[in-house]
Amino acid sequence: MSPGTAMAALSEEVLLVVKRVRQRKQDGTLYLMAERIAWGPEGKDRFTVSHLYADIRCQKISPDGKAKIQLQLVLHTGESTTFHFANESSSLKDRDATKELLQQLLPKFKKKANKELEEKNRMLQEDPVLFQLYKDLVVSQVISAEEFWANRLNMSSVDHAVSNNRQEVGISAAFLADIRPQTDGCNGLRYNLTADIIESIFRTYPAVKQKYNENVPENLTEKEFWTRFFQSHYFHRDRISTGTQDIFSECAKQDEKGLKCMVVQGVKNPMVDLLSLEDKTLDEGYGSSTAQSTSSSKQSLKENSNSAIIKRFNHHSSMVLAAGLRKVKLQEAIEYDDLQKDCRPRMVALNLKKSDRYSHGPIPLQSQHYSTTQDIINSINFIQHEMASYKPCLTQVMSSSAASSAIAALSPGGILMLTGVQQTINQLVPNDVQGELKHLYSAAGELLRHFWSCFPVNTPFLEEKVVKMKSNLERFQVTKLRPFQEKIQRQYLSSNLTGHLEEMLQAAYNKFHAWQTRRMMKKT
Amino acid sequence: MASEDEISLLVIVLDVNPIWWGQQAQREDEFTLSKCMDAVMVMANAHLVMSRTNKLAIIASHCQESHFLYPSKHWKAGDSCGDDSSSAGGDGKYEVLSVANKLISEEIRSLMARTEVKGHQTDTLMAGSLAKALCYIHRISKEIEGKVVIKAAEDCALQYMNFMNVIFAAQKQNVLIDACVLDSDSGLLQQMGLLLELCGIYLVSDLSCR
Repeated sequence: MSPGTAMAALSEEVLLVVKRVRQRKQDGTLYLMAERIAWGPEGKDRFTVSHLYADIRCQKISPDGKAKIQLQLVLHTGESTTFHFANESSSLKDRDATKELLQQLLPKFKKKANKELEEKNRMLQEDPVLFQLYKDLVVSQVISAEEFWANRLNMSSVDHAVSNNRQEVGISAAFLADIRPQTDGCNGLRYNLTADIIESIFRTYPAVKQKYNENVPENLTEKEFWTRFFQSHYFHRDRISTGTQDIFSECAKQDEKGLKCMVVQGVKNPMVDLLSLEDKTLDEGYGSSTAQSTSSSKQSLKENSNSAIIKRFNHHSSMVLAAGLRKVKLQEAIEYDDLQKDCRPRMVALNLKKSDRYSHGPIPLQSQHYSTTQDIINSINFIQHEMASYKPCLTQVMSSSAASSAIAALSPGGILMLTGVQQTINQLVPNDVQGELKHLYSAAGELLRHFWSCFPVNTPFLEEKVVKMKSNLERFQVTKLRPFQEKIQRQYLSSNLTGHLEEMLQAAYNKFHAWQTRRMMKKT
Repeated sequence: MASEDEISLLVIVLDVNPIWWGQQAQREDEFTLSKCMDAVMVMANAHLVMSRTNKLAIIASHCQESHFLYPSKHWKAGDSCGDDSSSAGGDGKYEVLSVANKLISEEIRSLMARTEVKGHQTDTLMAGSLAKALCYIHRISKEIEGKVVIKAAEDCALQYMNFMNVIFAAQKQNVLIDACVLDSDSGLLQQMGLLLELCGIYLVSDLSCR
């Protein structure tokens, strides 16, 4: 909502009005509405300050005792607005009322905006290339932030499912032991429960979570629930279920049921199944009859408590295993690749026609020299004669001019060395120029991607977008490409580094003009 | 200048097909096998002078055999070089060079002298010479060496497969091959250069400009 909205045109519900609130040394009135907070100067008809609750990151208040009673709103963007409550009699009350209302309202709107912004921040932090792109395109106002994120967040919503599966932080096995109660002073214990601890308890004991959902807030308050929890025998080591008044006794029974289920299902992962590792023999010499575990009802008390502990341990372990099972790839664990038959990739068989051609290679088209036998004899005689008196005469091999011209040709820049120049362009161009060029390429690539994805243009939205993208490209060329070109010209880099970029942009412009002319022709 | 540890071995394979060279010498007087030998020797000397640790081998590719001109089997280190003081120390040259030159010229002379006339064997055994060169390199077996192939006569179709095998073996051994072809275009060496990217420089020297 733009700040200049007339107050009279409001259709929002106003939750709180606070008079005599100063902002930037101006007297005015503060309005808290359903979705935003706004302030207008005294006597004026318009709001000069208006913030959606979703945009507000947090509020701050001046400390008690200070003469000026203020409330500050800090936005996600980092901006802050300060309100000074100047009503002589009720400033503190006003400020506190405002604060409390904000405290209730802000969390409601916080989640939605925050999450998106967090997501964006995370993406920018994780990917330096993306961050650079953002800086190049959005900060220098080549395209708007919405356009930049339009495609990206779509992609990320697909990934969202994946990213949510990222590992959740585990709970230490001893976390319950860490909830050490403090003595209250009068024979009581004081447990300090934080949201983290509560979550950990819920994750470890899903039965407790279920009970919580059932009973709070209808039957019990949170405080009462947790009091009972810590009092219950469920929590304590004994775990021998006494009276049924304890709402947690059911939890114990549930746990036992769950455990029995798991035992019946058996351990899925044969790697961890200890039972299968035993040798199974049938009787003496043959095999074994599976021994039935007798559950005697005459267990002594001590055994009972032991078995209770062991049951709890097993239950916990089975839940840990269940969480890890998904990740273990059984195949990988069991099979050894190199012992298996070679599964070579299927190759296309070489189909040679006239395979004998390959044994003797290409035959030149010109006719072979046919030498008569006499020629051969003559030649050999000639050469033998020549070589019989051969004495090396090395000083006559090369004239100095021939030598120096050969050296010149082979020096850098010589005729024979020209191919070398192109190879070293990587070294000719300094690193910072290379870096800038890379950024230009990624920025241009991003814009071009947006542009080309508009075709075929068959909706009015795409029409608008393609026009906008074309102007974005032009703006990019002017604000980013031209200065870069001028800079490298000044640095006497003769090689044409930006020719290809310009070609790409030109291709886009050509396409745009073609499309535009076609559209005009259709209209006439 | 190469570093102290690096030993650089240069193997020159020289096509000394007597029939071709004989015909060549009859055609034009300017460029003869002698002159070619001189040029090769200059290059060999240059290589040996560059570093004390540089090594050299020259193989003559003949139609009857492939023969090592240098190092020679007959030469034992410290043997005959001290005897003939006039040839060795006469002009104050670096001894290795004078010894090498002497040996090479002796060998080429004897090689040519023992050429027999055999009508059907007129092709240079290039593939065989290259194979010998590779074996020698493998025997010496230090870092990457350079190798020069000088080919004079036309391609021989019969040796194609062998030639290709040798080229692939050279590629596996990371041996560089430079080729210098005199007079006629060698499709074989071109192919080798293009396909295997082994060739350093592929020059076709026009004999008339000599």
